[in-house]
Amino acid sequence: MIEIHNLTKTFDKIKAVDDVSVTIKDNTVFGLIGTNGAGKSTVLRMVSGVLKPDSGTIAVDGMPVYDNVEAKKKMFFIADEPYFFANTNAQAMERYYSSIYEEFDREEFYKYLDNFNLDKNRKINTYSKGMKKQLAFLLGVCARTKYLLCDETMDGLDPVMRQGVKSIFAKEMEERGLTPVIASHNLRELEDICDHVGLLHKGGVLLSKDLEDMKCNIQKIQCVFSNVDEELKALSGLEVLKKEQRGSLCTYTVRSTREEVTARFATVDTVFYEVLPLSLEEIFISETEVVGYDIKKLILG
Amino acid sequence: MTSKNSFWDNCKQNHKRRIWVWIVSVLGQLALYVGILMIYLSRIRLWYAQGTYRTYEEYHDTMCRAAAEVLGFKEEYLITAIVLAVIIGVQGFSYLHDRRKVDLYHSVPVEKNRRFFAVYLNGIVIYITSTLLSVLVGVIVAAVQNAVNGLVLSEIGFAFIWNLLFFLVIYHTVILAVMLTGNRIITICMAGVLIFYEIGLYGLNDIMKYAFFETVSTFYVEHEPKLSAVWDYLLNVWDLRYMAWSEGVGGLAGEVLPYCGKWLILAVVILAAAWFCYRKRPSEAAGRAIAFTKAEPVIKVLIAVPASVGIGMIVHNASYGSTFLAVLGMLVSGVIVCAAAEVIYDFDIKSMIKHPVSGCVALIGIVIVFLIYKNDLIGYDKYVPLESQVDSVALNIDYCGEFWKKDFTYYSVADYHKEHMVITDVEPVLALASKWQQEREYFEVIKNTGDVDNTADYREVSVLYRLKSGREVGRKIWINYADPVNEALLNRIVGSDEFKAGAYQVMTDKDSYDHVQVITYTNGAVRVALPAEDAQKLRDAYVKDMEKFDFSLAIGERPCGRISLVFPNQRYTRMYVYESFENTIAYLKEQEAYYPIRLDPEDIASITITNYHYELDEPETYDSVAEYNLAMGARVETVAYGTSKAYEVTEIFDNKEQLAQIVPAIYPSYLSASWHNDGWELDQSYDVYVTFKKDTTYPYDRSERGVFYKFYVDQVPDFVVEATAYHADTE
Repeated sequence: MIEIHNLTKTFDKIKAVDDVSVTIKDNTVFGLIGTNGAGKSTVLRMVSGVLKPDSGTIAVDGMPVYDNVEAKKKMFFIADEPYFFANTNAQAMERYYSSIYEEFDREEFYKYLDNFNLDKNRKINTYSKGMKKQLAFLLGVCARTKYLLCDETMDGLDPVMRQGVKSIFAKEMEERGLTPVIASHNLRELEDICDHVGLLHKGGVLLSKDLEDMKCNIQKIQCVFSNVDEELKALSGLEVLKKEQRGSLCTYTVRSTREEVTARFATVDTVFYEVLPLSLEEIFISETEVVGYDIKKLILG
Repeated sequence: MTSKNSFWDNCKQNHKRRIWVWIVSVLGQLALYVGILMIYLSRIRLWYAQGTYRTYEEYHDTMCRAAAEVLGFKEEYLITAIVLAVIIGVQGFSYLHDRRKVDLYHSVPVEKNRRFFAVYLNGIVIYITSTLLSVLVGVIVAAVQNAVNGLVLSEIGFAFIWNLLFFLVIYHTVILAVMLTGNRIITICMAGVLIFYEIGLYGLNDIMKYAFFETVSTFYVEHEPKLSAVWDYLLNVWDLRYMAWSEGVGGLAGEVLPYCGKWLILAVVILAAAWFCYRKRPSEAAGRAIAFTKAEPVIKVLIAVPASVGIGMIVHNASYGSTFLAVLGMLVSGVIVCAAAEVIYDFDIKSMIKHPVSGCVALIGIVIVFLIYKNDLIGYDKYVPLESQVDSVALNIDYCGEFWKKDFTYYSVADYHKEHMVITDVEPVLALASKWQQEREYFEVIKNTGDVDNTADYREVSVLYRLKSGREVGRKIWINYADPVNEALLNRIVGSDEFKAGAYQVMTDKDSYDHVQVITYTNGAVRVALPAEDAQKLRDAYVKDMEKFDFSLAIGERPCGRISLVFPNQRYTRMYVYESFENTIAYLKEQEAYYPIRLDPEDIASITITNYHYELDEPETYDSVAEYNLAMGARVETVAYGTSKAYEVTEIFDNKEQLAQIVPAIYPSYLSASWHNDGWELDQSYDVYVTFKKDTTYPYDRSERGVFYKFYVDQVPDFVVEATAYHADTE
């Protein structure tokens, strides 16, 4: 488990990370969402031990990470712009990482390399941006560390490769309990992969929740009430996050369980009602609007 | 499948990425060592074939010396070491300047210290292996051509250690520069500043002292950089070459190893500082100009102050000492340097006026430094130590002789004095120094008005104060030789055995006189050879006469003759004989070598006198030259003759009566002596050539032109003045 408490980092009087507290549970996929400049990379660089926090603590399985080799052995950091040695190839990079990570799985690496159609002898500087991301990802996965910190790693991958990456995550999580931490500015990219999401904005955490919890506790209902009294009766005691109305058709986003909403609406006189599934995007819009942010501007542009 | 992740494995991985540096280093050094050696040796072989060398031994020695020169101590290797240190240091550690590389290296599970020392050691390995390989190939090339012997190998060995230690100091300095900065170009600039900062400060201090202080003397005490390896290298590398030949391997080791020890300590200290900065350096410093934000104003001030003062001094010199322009130049350059520093820090032109406080501190520092020197706020020129503080003194009061070591190699005057002149009766020296302080104001006035007649009696003397604290202080003072109070003080100094022991080697060095090769005596007109085997006898007589030598004698009499001695290794010295030196003159008479300085008119055929009439030279020329020289910092403009020969008048005198009047008024120019200011005591307007009769019994110089004499000032006979007067129709 990675526990982050009150993490703060300032660059030249600009607070890049401001009092961030997040817990990353083992064997889950943690998504770190935020706009450019929200502090995602800084958080990951601190978690990986590259940067020293100004204040706050990071504990990786109970160990401080900065300048601690034992903690670093448990994680692999894939930077947003991964660095490869000059004029080198995938094989040479494998040799370097093999000399650093004791558990590095060379056989697996070359197998994945074939699967991703990456030539081990080709100079990396002739790779495309996406190929470089794939290579960095494969090196990270094959280092067989417990935590894999990915900074915008999905960015630049085509849908097929993204699917491949997801399936590798699933396999590694199942086989050896890998815990990927994925930072991205694109919410849709993480929707179908993350178990837990942290939303960063201007260096601080807006929210950090399990996706399942969020999905279970927010419901969208489309309905047409027979009269206003019935509407008030149906909604009394429910926390309404959002209401939209087009003619007599109302769409409510409420904080409640599906069962409770269904039970309540069954007792009132409605012309029509339906409880609809929410996308991750809609959940975020609802959650952040509650705290005064326009998520569309933050994440979806 | 399992890796060790060991230190050596880290070294190996690091070395893989630095192989190109090794190749560059090897190729560069092979070209320098082996390429140049082959050119040297082939040229010597050619000369040998052409018969330049008389013997094979001479040829072999030349070959060996060439090999020692190219593979041993050579000033060019200073540049090689600096260039390699910069390349190796920057290439090894500049990953810290690249965020992408930092993300990789600082996230992987490798200890920070281990990474530092893996990169550091690889750098040293690159230098040592490439240098050793090049030297080894050079030795093989030299050996094949029979240009190697024990001396060559010892010079090469010591030079390798010398260069290695020098490289370490520079390499560590470059690493420190890398740690302090976040950008390669700034790193190289910072390395340059760190390497040359001390030399620059000392140079600036010298410039300022010479510009504003009167009493600066580097005769005995030279203030040199204490920590600069570059300074040590340049100062000594020339002397170390062929030292194995002259001093033996032990002598060479004795000279080289203390510097190596000093450099080793220096290297360790700098490495510790670099390592400390490495530990403290934040990863986010990659890409910044300066890694530590808090150090930015300090670095700015430390660079802006000396740089601006230096620029101001250039303006000061260019404007013939204008204080206003100097201060203006300093302040303007201070503002520019501070603004440039801020622009570099932020890589943003808009940051020019950022951090005005540190900029103001720099400007205030500049003004303070200038005022300290300009107004002598440290009392440099007023320095006269208390008698209780001084252990002994030495002083260079006039030309007293030449010096040599036991092996007849050169011994500088200053070094001989420092070694042998220990005057414990310091009171008269301090009294003279204090008296000069009282007369300084008067001297300044007469100097600045160009009153050369009054300044002529003041003689510049370098003094070394050896303080009881162990410190040595050198100063210049001026002593008025015409002042009777000073004469008494100078008699105490010059008449003392301690002064004579340091000023005249003949007084203490008896052994050298067993090796005298040639002795001659001259009265200015006659030169007579004396038996070299009599050197000790002559020395005994001379030393006995010197017992009564003091300032009054030196200044009251002009020498009546001079003894010249030649020692091995072309060492040469002169001993002046005075008419009161009865023991020496008795010996000379015994050898029938003594000829009185006063000529007998009976021996003279004629005297040719030329009057140059300098007084008729264009007054503008005289004034402008004197004015210019004084403006350029000359203390006293004593002689400013015109260059025109338009007014010279030559007359020949052969009348016996006239010759009898001329003879007492002339002095042999050849005997121009120490302790006397010939420019003032002898009339420079006249040249006097004495032609001797061919039938005289004396062995006078009988060259056609005759023997060169000068008139004493104010003793030119009237008939000579009249005969050589200039008339417009003379031509």
